[in-house]
Amino acid sequence: MLRLPALTLRLAILSAFAVFFAVPVLWLILAPTKADSALVTASPLSFGSFHQLSLAWHHLDRFSDHIYRRWIYNSLYYALSATAITLAVSVPAGYGLAFGKFPGRRLLLSLTLVVMIIPAAALVLPIFLELNAMHLLGRSLSVILPFSFFPFGVYLAYIYYATALPPGLLDAARVDGCSEVQTFVRVALPLAKPVVALVFFFSFVADWNNFFLPLTVLADSNQYPIQVGLSDLLSSTPSFNPAQGGGGQTVDIFRPELALATLIAIVPVAIVFLVSQRALVRGLVGGAVKE
Amino acid sequence: MARVEFDDVSKVYDDGTRAVDRLDLEIADGEFMVLVGPSGCGKTTALRMVAGLEEISDGTVRIGERVVNGLTPKSRDIAMVFQSYALYPHLTVRDNIAFPLKIAKLPKDEIGRRVDEAARILDLEPYLKRKPRQLSGGQRQRVAMGRAIVRQPAAFLMDEPLSNLDAKLRVQMRADIKKIQSDIGTTTIYVTHDQVEAMTMGDRVAVMRKGELQQVAPPQELYDNPVNVFVAGFIGSPAMNMLEARIDRGGEGLVAHVGDSELALDAETLSRRPGLASYAGRDVVLGIRPEDLEDAALANGGPRLRGRVELREALGSEVLVHFAVAARQAVTEEMRELAEDIGDDRVLLDQPAEASLVGRFSPRTQVRENELVEVSVDRRSLHFFDAQTGLAIG
Amino acid sequence: MRGLRVPRGLPFVLPYLPFLIVFGIAPTIYALDLAFTNATGGWAWFHNFVRTFDDYRFVPAFKHILLYTSVWLAMLVVIVVGLALLLHGRANRVSSTFRFIFYMPGALAGAASVLVWLFMLDPVVSPGRFLLQHVLGATLFAQSIAPGNLPFIFAMIAFWTGAGGWIVVMYGALNTIPHDLEEAARIDGASPIQIALRLKLPLIRKWIAYMVILSFATGTQLFVEPQLVNEASLGLVPDTWSPNQLAYQLAFRYADFNGAAAIAVDLLFIGLVGAFLIVTRTGLFRTDD
Ligand SMILES: Nc1ncnc2c1ncn2[C@@H]1O[C@H](COP(=O)(O)OP(=O)(O)OP(=O)(O)O)[C@@H](O)[C@H]1O
Ligand SMILES: [Mg+2]
Repeated sequence: MLRLPALTLRLAILSAFAVFFAVPVLWLILAPTKADSALVTASPLSFGSFHQLSLAWHHLDRFSDHIYRRWIYNSLYYALSATAITLAVSVPAGYGLAFGKFPGRRLLLSLTLVVMIIPAAALVLPIFLELNAMHLLGRSLSVILPFSFFPFGVYLAYIYYATALPPGLLDAARVDGCSEVQTFVRVALPLAKPVVALVFFFSFVADWNNFFLPLTVLADSNQYPIQVGLSDLLSSTPSFNPAQGGGGQTVDIFRPELALATLIAIVPVAIVFLVSQRALVRGLVGGAVKE
Repeated sequence: MARVEFDDVSKVYDDGTRAVDRLDLEIADGEFMVLVGPSGCGKTTALRMVAGLEEISDGTVRIGERVVNGLTPKSRDIAMVFQSYALYPHLTVRDNIAFPLKIAKLPKDEIGRRVDEAARILDLEPYLKRKPRQLSGGQRQRVAMGRAIVRQPAAFLMDEPLSNLDAKLRVQMRADIKKIQSDIGTTTIYVTHDQVEAMTMGDRVAVMRKGELQQVAPPQELYDNPVNVFVAGFIGSPAMNMLEARIDRGGEGLVAHVGDSELALDAETLSRRPGLASYAGRDVVLGIRPEDLEDAALANGGPRLRGRVELREALGSEVLVHFAVAARQAVTEEMRELAEDIGDDRVLLDQPAEASLVGRFSPRTQVRENELVEVSVDRRSLHFFDAQTGLAIG
Repeated sequence: MRGLRVPRGLPFVLPYLPFLIVFGIAPTIYALDLAFTNATGGWAWFHNFVRTFDDYRFVPAFKHILLYTSVWLAMLVVIVVGLALLLHGRANRVSSTFRFIFYMPGALAGAASVLVWLFMLDPVVSPGRFLLQHVLGATLFAQSIAPGNLPFIFAMIAFWTGAGGWIVVMYGALNTIPHDLEEAARIDGASPIQIALRLKLPLIRKWIAYMVILSFATGTQLFVEPQLVNEASLGLVPDTWSPNQLAYQLAFRYADFNGAAAIAVDLLFIGLVGAFLIVTRTGLFRTDD
């Protein structure tokens, strides 16, 4: 058969890429189970011991008076608060933009599209200056408020409502005696579950991974989110910063600790990723691909 | 329960479309009023103005004695059944039906009682726990009805509630809705473009065209005495045959010249259409219902038309025979508009010298396609319309 | 007599407005304002743009991201679409396993991905040390991250984290193509490759454009990756490798906010022009109102 080589080729290409995507993740999961020296000598994808793992955690946790826990907590706090605000703001806004009749509706829609395309990083400096003027610098609000502005969420909610919610349903609710607010709360909102999941995913992941803004607006390392914290940790790792050699010894941050720090830092996002793969596609493609 | 009244009501959409034009219509308390007309004639718009879903551009709408122009749907005390049913997908059948009552904050036991009652009337009891997507089309339709009747509103508004059902179910639901309505006696405005629904369900039927009301009458009256060419052509299936004819004096009274045939109008016809006398020597539009045409071989007497059979459709209980006669098809206003719309006046100019008619023949007829046929015309219910205005000549 | 006349829907949008204004529109205007004024607030025409352009770090920084963005986008378009097409039509179990493997690194965005790849690029610990030595000729970490390699390395990192998500999306988009269409093409005698290129590819064009737009915009904003590599390289890699880093340094080391804003505006301009070109070329948002 002619098809067999083609099939094999296909599988070979897919497998090669699978190795490329999977090996770094595997390495990261295994690295904290080994001592720093074993990372060099032992086979890169071998398992060390749980003892080493707990040792690595011990070192990491001790670093700078438990600051690692603080960073994770900060990240959760910033990302969850901002995502909560984002949801509370963007779902009603998307609804209003999809079904509203008020002057400026189209202008708002266009502005949202434009701002959505402007990458957040381009606005970090002016936002820094604004926050400075509002005397918010160094406060957690200086991270949460800019994070809460998520035009992509508004756009997703708008697309969802405009394509997936039949206007007849809203008319029915009005005739059934709902006020405008009741129409939203009792009909439009319960039907928004798919888009809520989608907005939550994108907003949470974006907030969790944001590095530039918190680096710019926060000065105290006790307030850092984990992303910025990791960079702090990196500069304390002697293998990447021989200048830190002596320092590395005293704080016990070596490659296994750094790998463990990285690994823990991605757990929340990994969970979100795991639960959302299917919803993500259904939401994105199903809702928006309407030709 | 209440009467509903349109008083000189117009609707102009933002883009300038005049969807309803000076509508005057009064629906009596407890009446089943059907709004019928071709697509885009403004039926839905009229209904939505009663519901409060569409602002009223001009005129007043009253429900009961209350002017409702400025009121929200909430405060109008009406229930509506939508073409798409508009069931809330996240709620069970029970919660869908209970929804308006919950919004109105009725006591729990009262809600339960009313929902059970509605479910019983509509045979929905086995499905109360299901979600709408687990129901068939007919069941969904019933839920939509249920949601309307539990409210015990002043009026029901229904916008083509049966158009998504298959033919058989539609016939059954037609009867069911009619029965429910007459049992509970709630004023109902029912929109459809299906004239069979209109004829079978309405206490009265209002025919609309391009935003304007043409005629309001009980179904039989509408069928027997259409006020103009439009209503005559719209009501009845197959549609009324329309021919150009010329009225002349002759014999004992008048004759209608249709192509090269001659229909003598006897005294009985003339006494029913006295207005015809003044049309002697003028062109008119002659309307003949298909059931007033019969294979001459099976009929006794009456004037005759000669034609050639083009198509024979046997329906079992009757045979629809399409045949061409040497006469000119009346150009109705729709055809004129169509021609204007597509910018093609050949439709008007190239009128073939042959008109195609449809007759509803007895199944015993022996006519065959492409053969000549003699058709007998029942003179008792011929319709005549002014060739210029299209108005019926009474 | 109210009710119908309240502008419907406006109240729902109101909470969004302050955010849009304060963190979307105002910073944009503010950035423009800063870029065209001098430190004392006077109108400066294009002085800030000329000044920053003449900075010896400006041109290299833009060259870096130009190269980086082109490599990354090319990889995304070719490999993501290619892999999605290869996956489409595989047995479902196999295909979903592969999709999952491709997708998971997406959880390691930002700083985490850079840290992982710092390890991967360190010939001492890397599981790919064989490749590093024989392909890059690197036996030392410093050789792996030689300046010439960096645009490609960053492109690879970005690809490693981002590609899986897009593969999943493309695969989902491919699944919306009606099965009939594919069967009709097969009956018309099209080979699997012809079906992929002539039928499937055009039907997911919109999504490819969408991917390119979003990636292009974020690509020009590269910041965290070179920042971390700078920290890990003992200054071998400058802390002004990308334009955003340069802007950051201008603002926070030299307190030159006007110059920094000028660079932000440059980036904004490039982003908008790029997005505009892609939107108009593909009609991406044509169906929206
Ligand atoms: N929101 C709107 N804006 C502008 N014009 C509209 C709007 N809604 C309806 N129209 C126009 O108003 C006219 C009447 O529409 P309407 O929906 O009332 O017709 P209908 O009689 O219900 O037709 P159908 O039988 O097809 O449902 C049509 O010409 C339609 O195009
Ligand atoms: Mg309608």
